[in-house]
Formats: sequence, C-alpha cells, structure tokens
Amino acid sequence: MKFWEIGKRNLKEIYRNPVLLGFLLGMPVAFMLVFIAAAGGGQASPIAMSVVDEDHSQTSSAFVQTLGSIEAIELNEPVYSEKSQAQKDLDEGKISFYLFIPSGFQAAQQAQQTINLELVYKAADPMIGLQVKPIIEAVGSEFLGVAPPLNVELKGTESEIKNPAVNFYFPGIAVYGLMILISTAAEIIAGDREKGFLSRLFTTPARPQDFILGYSLPFIPVLIFSTLIYLGVGMALGLTIVGNLGHAFLIFFLIGLCAIGIGMIVGSLVKSESQAGVSWLFIVPMAMISGAWFTVDRMPSALRSIAEALPFIHGIDASRAVLNGSSFSAIVLDIYWLVGWAVVLFAAGIALFRRTMVS
Amino acid sequence: MNAVQTFKLTKEFDGLVAVNGVNLEINKGELFSLLGPNGAGKTTTIRMLCCLLKPTRGTASILGHDVVRVPFAVKKLIGVSPQDTVLSERLNCWENLALIGKVHGLSSDEVARRSKELLETMGLMERAKDPVRKFSGGMKRRLSIAMALVSDPQVLFLDEPTLGLDPQARRNIWEHIAGLKGKKTILLTTHYMEEADYLSDRIGIIDEGKVVALGTSQELKTNLLEMRSMVVSTANLTAEVLKDLRAKYSRLEMAKGRLKIYHKDLDFKGIVDYLHSQGVTVYSAALEQPTLEDVFLQITGKKLRD
Repeated sequence: MKFWEIGKRNLKEIYRNPVLLGFLLGMPVAFMLVFIAAAGGGQASPIAMSVVDEDHSQTSSAFVQTLGSIEAIELNEPVYSEKSQAQKDLDEGKISFYLFIPSGFQAAQQAQQTINLELVYKAADPMIGLQVKPIIEAVGSEFLGVAPPLNVELKGTESEIKNPAVNFYFPGIAVYGLMILISTAAEIIAGDREKGFLSRLFTTPARPQDFILGYSLPFIPVLIFSTLIYLGVGMALGLTIVGNLGHAFLIFFLIGLCAIGIGMIVGSLVKSESQAGVSWLFIVPMAMISGAWFTVDRMPSALRSIAEALPFIHGIDASRAVLNGSSFSAIVLDIYWLVGWAVVLFAAGIALFRRTMVS
Repeated sequence: MNAVQTFKLTKEFDGLVAVNGVNLEINKGELFSLLGPNGAGKTTTIRMLCCLLKPTRGTASILGHDVVRVPFAVKKLIGVSPQDTVLSERLNCWENLALIGKVHGLSSDEVARRSKELLETMGLMERAKDPVRKFSGGMKRRLSIAMALVSDPQVLFLDEPTLGLDPQARRNIWEHIAGLKGKKTILLTTHYMEEADYLSDRIGIIDEGKVVALGTSQELKTNLLEMRSMVVSTANLTAEVLKDLRAKYSRLEMAKGRLKIYHKDLDFKGIVDYLHSQGVTVYSAALEQPTLEDVFLQITGKKLRD
C-alpha cells in the first residue's frame, strides 16, 4: 500500500493549496455567476434567423419583410419554401433555428383566428428560442394590427427547464472547470519533479506502480469533489436536470480523466514555471472552440473539425443533451469517444511520467 | 565488506565527464566526506550511489549490493537527505516523516516511535504540527536529515547538509551529524572545508570529477602540504629587508603591517632572528595552522570557493 501513502500526500498537497483549489473551484463558479447574470441582460448583436414560408401569400411575405426590418433580427436569405429543407439545414448545423409560417397564415389572419407560428431550434441551444420569441410576438401583434391571437410555439425540450440560461451555460462551464484539472495535475507533478521531491521518493524502496498510482489516483477524488461542487452551484442557480444525472456524471468523470491524463503529460514534460503557461495555452482555446462559454454552431468547419476530434466538445454537447432530457442512446457515441480519449491520454500520461523515473 | 565501494565509477552527460573513474572504499560506521567546489561531481556521485543515475562506466555497491543490478535492495539500506532540502511543504513534520517511513515499509507504530525520537533529537517537537513551508532553512534541513533517518538506514547520504545556512544553524546541524558518528555509515558532501574538517573520519577531495586526494584531515595537511606559512606583525620594514625575504622564501604577502611568509620547511626562529638583526620591530609572530583550503589550493591550483 505504498502507493496509498504517496497518493495521500499528494491529495493533502492539493487540498491544502488555496491557489490550486481557488482555480479549480472558484473560477468555474465565478464564470457561472457572470455568464448566467449576463444572459439575463438582453442581447446586443442581431440574431440571424431563417424563415420557412409555406403560406406563400402576400401577407406572409409582408410579415417576413417586416421581421427583416427589425434591428434585432437579421434574416438569412433565401426564405425557405418548404419546412423539410430548413429542418435538414438545422440538423446539419448550417442554421441554428428557423421560424415556420404554416400554410393558412393569411387565411387565419383574415378570419381573425388564432395564428400559429413555430420557432424550431436545437434542444442544446435553448437561448435562441427564448430570445427571439418575444420579438416575434411583438412584431407579429403590431404587423397584424390587433392584440395577439398570435401563438408562437417554442419547439424545444426546454419546457421543463426552469432557467434555460443555466441549463445552457452550466455544462460548458463545468467541462471548462474540469479542464483546469490539467493545470492541477501538471502543477503537482512538475513541481515535485523539478524541486527534487520525486527524486527523493525514488531513493526509497517503492515500485514504479506505487508512483504511478500515487500520482494519478489522488486526482480522482478531486475530480469527483469538483463535479459535485459544480453541480451544487449549478442547481442553486436553477439548473434543471431533466435527463439522467448519473449519465451526466459519467460524462463529467470521463472529461476529468482526460484532463488528468493531459496534466500528467504536461507535468512530465514541462518545467514547473512554464507549466501554468502551457496548461492554460491549451485550456482556454480548447474551451472556446469546444463551446464552453458560447455556442459554436456557426464556427468555421475546419475549427469545428478540430474541436470534434478532441474530447471536450463531446463532453459539453453530451452533458447538455443529457441534462436537457436526451436518452443514453443519443449520447452513446460521445461516450465512446470520451472513453477512447480517456484511455489514450491516461496511458500516455503514465508512460511519460514513468520516463521521469529513469535517467 | 565495505559499506560503500566504487570502482572506476564514471558518469558522462553528452560527452561531458561529470564523474571520472572514482574509487571509494568507505568502512562501516565511518563518516566520509567528499569535499570539493561546486560542479566537482559530488552530487552526481551520490545520485549514482542512490540509484537515481545509472553510471556510464564502473561499478558501485552498498553493503555488497550493486546499485545497477539490485537497486531495490540498495534502496532498502539507504537514507538520503538531498542537497535541495526537498520536503512536502504543505505537510507537517509528522506527515513528512510518516510518508518516508511508510514508503520504506515501516508500520504505523514504528513510524510514530521513530518520528517521536527523531523530532526530539532534532529539536523539532515544538513545531511538529506546523506545515513545514513556514520553517526556517535550518529547521527544514534538520527535518530533511530526520526524514533520511526515519527508516533507520545503515548507510546515510547527506548531500551538502548545511548549504546556505547561517553559522549558528550550521553548527547546530554539525552537532546532530556528529551525534550519528559510529552509529551509521555516512557519506557527506560539502564544499565547506571547516565542515569536512570538523566532522569527517576521512576526506576525499574531489575536483573536476576526480578524487585527487584521500585521507584523514591530519594526513592531508601533513603529508600533502608542501608549504607552511607564518604571520608577523611588524613596524619599520625596509624595502631592502623585503627584497631579501622575497629572494629567500617562496611567497610573501604584505597587508596592513602584517607580513605573511610561505615556504617549505619554514624556519620560524631563523626568520624572527633575521628581522631583529635588521632592526625591524616584531610585535608578534605565529606559525599558521594549515587548512584543507590550503591543501585544496595546492593540489588543484585554485580556491575551493572559486
């Protein structure tokens, strides 16, 4: 049980270090507060909206024109004439949502009946629907000249979600928080390697496996603890867990393992003074292109391909989907991807760490 | 069987020879010092003996166990206090000692008993529960030595145990090390000649990777030192007298009325008589005790702290 003693020491070095803990727990919590507060403050730039007009009437095209004249909305050209085309583009990620004007729009308006419109968006991005819905309602009422017999129906899974902003931002920031484990692990390993503490331990009769376990296992309780803290803060801020919490936890756990693996790699290769630079040079761009802080649906495809090859975007998309109610079968490919990465990164981390023992 | 034995121990780093064919035989219970300037190869030698570095050539063994072939057996026998006092900074004394003790396979009871003994001996009991990052350099060094001792090793390696400490803390560490003499085999490295002089049974002078002299402090000073020196406090020295002395003796140094004369087989009485005969006032005259610094200077042509 020599590994246990080494692991215990490393765990103490982490939880007694306010700077490490501050980064690991404090920064994501601060991000959640800031992002979620900011999401309540309205939007600044116009939202690009696609429209499907299946009514093909004078009224419907006039309505579309009016929508296009609103400052907050930028209409995508051309206007779809069939819903199926728009749905295909939405599924492929070419557009992020669309407004559907069904046939019978003009007739309903003339007959003064209830007018039904649909805003169709990706379940993983409920913010857009919420931002656009009141605009369309307001424009619609004014355009139609009457108090709304207008019914804009939101087609997403957010109906059970109390605070969509929290459900949108939480998964990204939680994954970003777990990415900080890269720096935590790298700090402990690089520090001990460079200051000579590892050398000191290498003069004792412990076996290589004791060191490997002693320098990887302690990060796992840290990972679990951080995830629980993030979830606790998320729920306090109004996170609604529609799907299976266990599945979400599994995703966060796998992301954490990937981060520890990367941390072991960085810690074994880089000097402790440059560790923070190298770790953060990786964490921040990765978090950005993985959609940790904002939607990346419209990111250039090359960048998106990079993000999708790496594990983090899968962690964010899958945990967001699961929290918003997706079933396990919908995220199983993401899980495979994460398991694969976790195995590869952990193995590489162990191999490089082992190399520090021989000289 | 020797406690530590090396044969033509050599380490090269990218063609640079750090340790060059070192032969050492350290007896059980002996305190042996490797004395030499920074970069002489002291730490590299210790790192090879502790199984942290593989020798490029040559062999080394601890109590008959080869450091390359059976490192695990060697590690069970040794305790190491590295040059950079590496401790787990956020742990307290007990926790640091327990970590090393348990990794050496000691039971919790043994660890507690040994730790208590060592903390008392090293005078750390009062601060034993404080995180060690708040400790002074001297306290850290004492804890580092205690950590090296917690497994009750047969052979102890102390790499520059007083480096960077103030004179009082250094004295204090010396007392602790002196207390271990005869109980443990100790290999100590230092570039402080006073330290080697005060503590060692035998000294190996190492320079540029080679052991250039070996023996007790007294042997080194008497056998190797060719020149003795004396200091004379004088007044009214004339240029003529100085010229005469310069011609007769190997080296002369003059500062603030103090004349220092170096020569092999220095004739103390003869010099004082000569000065008197020339009308020079001699306030005092004394033969200087030779130091290991002088020995080092003579063998290598440079000062220890160059």
